[in-house]
Amino acid sequence: MGLMELAWIIPASSFFAFVGIIAFGRRIPFVSPMLSIGAIIVGCILVFVVVMGRIDADPTGIDFFSRKWFEVGGTELMLGMIIDPLSIVMLGLVCFVSLMVQVYSLSYMRHDPKLAWYYAIHALFAASMILVVLADNFLLFYVAWELVGLCSYLLIGFWWEKREPVEAAKKAFITTRIADVALLVGILLLFHEVGTFSMKETFYQAQLLGAGEVSELSSGTTMIATFLLFIGAMGKSAQIPFHVWLPDAMAGPTPVSALIHAATMVVAGVYLVARTFALFEAVPNVLLVVSIVGLVTSLLASTMALVNTDLKRILAYSTISHLGLMMLSLGAFGYTAAIFHLVAHGFSKALLFLGAGSVSHASNQTDIRKMGGFIKVMPITAITFGIGALSLGGIPIFAGFWSKDEILIAVFNHRNFLFLIGTLFVGFLSALYMARAFYLVFFGDLKNENKSVSESPILMTAPLILLAIPSLLFGFSVFGSDEGYGGIGRFIFFENAHDFHFNVLLGSISVILAVVAFGISKPLYITRKFDLNRIKKYFSGLIRICERGYYFDQVYEWFFDRIVLVSSRFIAWLDRAVVNDVGVNGPANSMGWTASKLRLHVTGKVYNYALVMVLGSMIIGSVWWIMVAG
Amino acid sequence: MDNFNQIALIFILAVPLFTGGALIFFPRNKIGAIRTFALAGSLLTFLLSFYVFVMYDYHEGGYQFVGSIIWLMDPLNIQFSFGIDGISAPMILLTGIVMLAGTMMSWNIEYRSKDFFVLFMFLVAGVLGTFSVTDIFFLFFFYELAVLPMFPLIAVWGSTTDFGSFLRTKEYSAMKLTLYLVAGSVLVWIGIIALFIETTNAGAGTFSIETLSQMSEDGVFSRKFQLIFFPFFMIGFGVLAGLWPFHTWSPDGHVAAPTAVSMIHAGVLMKLGAYGIIRIGMTVLPEGASGWMPLLIGLGTVNVLYGAISAMGQRDLKYVIGYSSVSHMGLVLMGLATLNPIGVTGAVLQMFSHGIMTALFFAVVGMIYERTHTRDITILGGIAHRMPFTVILFAVAGLTSLGLPGLSGFIAEILIFVGVFKTSIFLAILAVVGAAITAVYVLRLLGKAFFGPMDSKWETLTDGGPRELITNGLLAGIIFFVGLWPMPLLRVINSGVAELLARYPI
Repeated sequence: MGLMELAWIIPASSFFAFVGIIAFGRRIPFVSPMLSIGAIIVGCILVFVVVMGRIDADPTGIDFFSRKWFEVGGTELMLGMIIDPLSIVMLGLVCFVSLMVQVYSLSYMRHDPKLAWYYAIHALFAASMILVVLADNFLLFYVAWELVGLCSYLLIGFWWEKREPVEAAKKAFITTRIADVALLVGILLLFHEVGTFSMKETFYQAQLLGAGEVSELSSGTTMIATFLLFIGAMGKSAQIPFHVWLPDAMAGPTPVSALIHAATMVVAGVYLVARTFALFEAVPNVLLVVSIVGLVTSLLASTMALVNTDLKRILAYSTISHLGLMMLSLGAFGYTAAIFHLVAHGFSKALLFLGAGSVSHASNQTDIRKMGGFIKVMPITAITFGIGALSLGGIPIFAGFWSKDEILIAVFNHRNFLFLIGTLFVGFLSALYMARAFYLVFFGDLKNENKSVSESPILMTAPLILLAIPSLLFGFSVFGSDEGYGGIGRFIFFENAHDFHFNVLLGSISVILAVVAFGISKPLYITRKFDLNRIKKYFSGLIRICERGYYFDQVYEWFFDRIVLVSSRFIAWLDRAVVNDVGVNGPANSMGWTASKLRLHVTGKVYNYALVMVLGSMIIGSVWWIMVAG
Repeated sequence: MDNFNQIALIFILAVPLFTGGALIFFPRNKIGAIRTFALAGSLLTFLLSFYVFVMYDYHEGGYQFVGSIIWLMDPLNIQFSFGIDGISAPMILLTGIVMLAGTMMSWNIEYRSKDFFVLFMFLVAGVLGTFSVTDIFFLFFFYELAVLPMFPLIAVWGSTTDFGSFLRTKEYSAMKLTLYLVAGSVLVWIGIIALFIETTNAGAGTFSIETLSQMSEDGVFSRKFQLIFFPFFMIGFGVLAGLWPFHTWSPDGHVAAPTAVSMIHAGVLMKLGAYGIIRIGMTVLPEGASGWMPLLIGLGTVNVLYGAISAMGQRDLKYVIGYSSVSHMGLVLMGLATLNPIGVTGAVLQMFSHGIMTALFFAVVGMIYERTHTRDITILGGIAHRMPFTVILFAVAGLTSLGLPGLSGFIAEILIFVGVFKTSIFLAILAVVGAAITAVYVLRLLGKAFFGPMDSKWETLTDGGPRELITNGLLAGIIFFVGLWPMPLLRVINSGVAELLARYPI
């Protein structure tokens, strides 16, 4: 108990680092990276302490720690933490990748004049992301969720002097914010029924509902609320149709993309679904929606990754695709598989992004058509990038292989045949686009303009190596050992612990597909054994649609410019012209007009008045005569 | 100390009145002395307001710092009685803060600065008086005192908006604002007289809020009477709170007013409207309130959406904020209309939070306007290159208005949403959508006007000086404080709201 409660120091130290940097960072330049990295090192150490505490108590148990934050109208709102295997695994991932990225940035960003600001947001991000993971009630969760969104906004728009990052940042914030409307309404709906934001109580009620017992939650509301939560998750995890912000977010610094837009923040949506899985399980129809959205997202995104020529954007589409796989897995009751893939993908994708950063740092470009042959000049980057690519491509023994296999089994067990075909196809495409990027960047001939490219400094390559190790080895955590640890399925699970099992048929199909993809890539893209242009011409229509990203952006832009902005200008005009000029000035003007006419009778001539007097008394007299006398 | 507590509120009123009065006798050309004296008066007022807020005992609740002086004997029975409860204490603090910040931001006024500060002090005295008296005759008196100086302040020191196709002169805006508010006070006045006559019929005519609410509890006001006269307060005070469709004075007024007046005006004066609804309408006429709240909550929703959508279509920086005030005051009205503790507490907190936030908004826009001489979003662009701190402060206000957690607006909004959810899920969803629209226009504004490549004509811009940055930095600090640790404010508000709602069926 005692050790676990120390977890609050992890976000707090990063938060204080943020405050410290804001206060002193500008004057003493070196203090900012030191504070931020120092805080995250403290975090990493404490993760171990918390793990010890968890193991001491009950490795797979769940504990809640709450303190009062504020109270209103008799309702107490709490600050609290959840410590269970899920949050611990996420904590480890977030702290480790944050540390790697911040160290990497020391070298990558060292010439940037806004280094202090950069590390300040990194510290704030670390604090809020850890809070997302730890939050034990929906209100605190939403607070942290919005804060990571803010950090994402600030980091995408880090180079705000240029137009493009500003637009990308705005797009990211607004897109996720629209999804957050649904999330907030969902949270409020749950609060409305359960009467507290506490996750513990909400899950308990959901379990009662699922078991068909008397529960505060009604099944209709739970279905709507759960679906709304899922929409929020779709926004953060860039699921179609909310995915449009993620490729544009690549306008930010590359280490940021590695941390926020690959390994940590974008998986918050997956984490949300996993965290609230008790709700999802009570209403299985929503899980079907989750798996459909996941599958469609991963299919569309992987085709977009295959035709893109910008290294960072390829990785971004690949991220979307793999987030889709995680959602698909959750939707197919593959809770363990999804979290397993989340971590494996987190390590691999952070590695790939940092590798891409290393490449673009050395060559000042991100267009893979202008690269080639880099393996000769930057071997460490090439080898580590290769490990990441193999892991993501699902080649055996690498981390991504094991997690993909788990997902396939979940889909096979719980969803129909079409889902399985789709998942296998996504796996194939995944291997193919990773192979394509890897070969085009690192193999072939070194172009003349790239002759001066050289390996990145140690501060950048060390994180690459440290991330390559888990990308290579993390997969073996599926196997249990004799001393207590029973494999990942016995550590992270929803309700039922299970052992690792390997379906030979599925496994061989997926391995063959992945190996074929890597195998055909070299003749296809490097040695040009096949005529690539003929294939391209054959599929030209399809390729164009993929290159344009299925026209999502165009439709949204049209909708925003033609519908939203036009109607807002219309309302603004209405307020001026109708409500103000007619409604407000109108009475004033008519009053003025009436007065200007009425004053004409004041002529000042006695005979006019005399005439009116005589006429008036005649009228009154006749009225009197008719009404009274008559 | 006890003796001082009895007259603390008198002091709060007397300091700005005395400062304003004494300034009249200052020589016109001694601008430095005038400013220093005004600042000293504001600082003292702020300290006093802080003192009464901190010393307010929320365990005990009720009216504290009370005192009373008989002003007119029977049969009118008007007393100058004063006292603050958990709802007015935060408002007094808010006024103190905004007044001090406003004085700091008007430091540079060269044109007739003496007259400016005299009127400004009377304006603030009116606001403070409204929040601290417990007699509706004097409440009305101070309310009018607060409204009247607005006319010269806008018409003389204001600015005119001219976009060619769209012209609003400052005289037009000043006139419109005054006429509107006076029209609203006519309704309020009718309502007050009706209350007095009804109590006279019951045997003891009174203007005292405490007696009135006691009599209301005893059933002096019939349900019919309450239903007829509640709208007089709801709409009469609602005009000042920017209630749709009586809101059009407010964007025009905000835009035309000079910086400090916009700050007081949007920051505090609009809250007077909401406060009036609470203090007279909801306290004395609970059945009327219950009967009319569906309309108020509906109009509040219109406010939220209509204000937010209109803000999106604006070109002038100040108009964006003006319409956003309309939108945020809609949230206050919605929160009040829920009549449940969470919603009403949220509404009062939103009054405080929005007051600070809007003051910060207008102060920063004032800084930008002073330097660039334009507020046209399409002309500004990339000024963050030269004014980084100013833009950060603007961003803090902007993020507060879009309800970012960690800032005061979030706590207030979430409470209002929870409260409205209990009344109507549909309207609550609309309110949440309104908050999302806020994100759109705030971020568009930030992106368009402040970030991106800089126009070469802004090469010579300078960032805010220490005076401006410290003032606005403190406002931003309050926003953070309330956002992270709202308890000190909430427990005071809780006690006031609990008392207010004690007579409503839950």
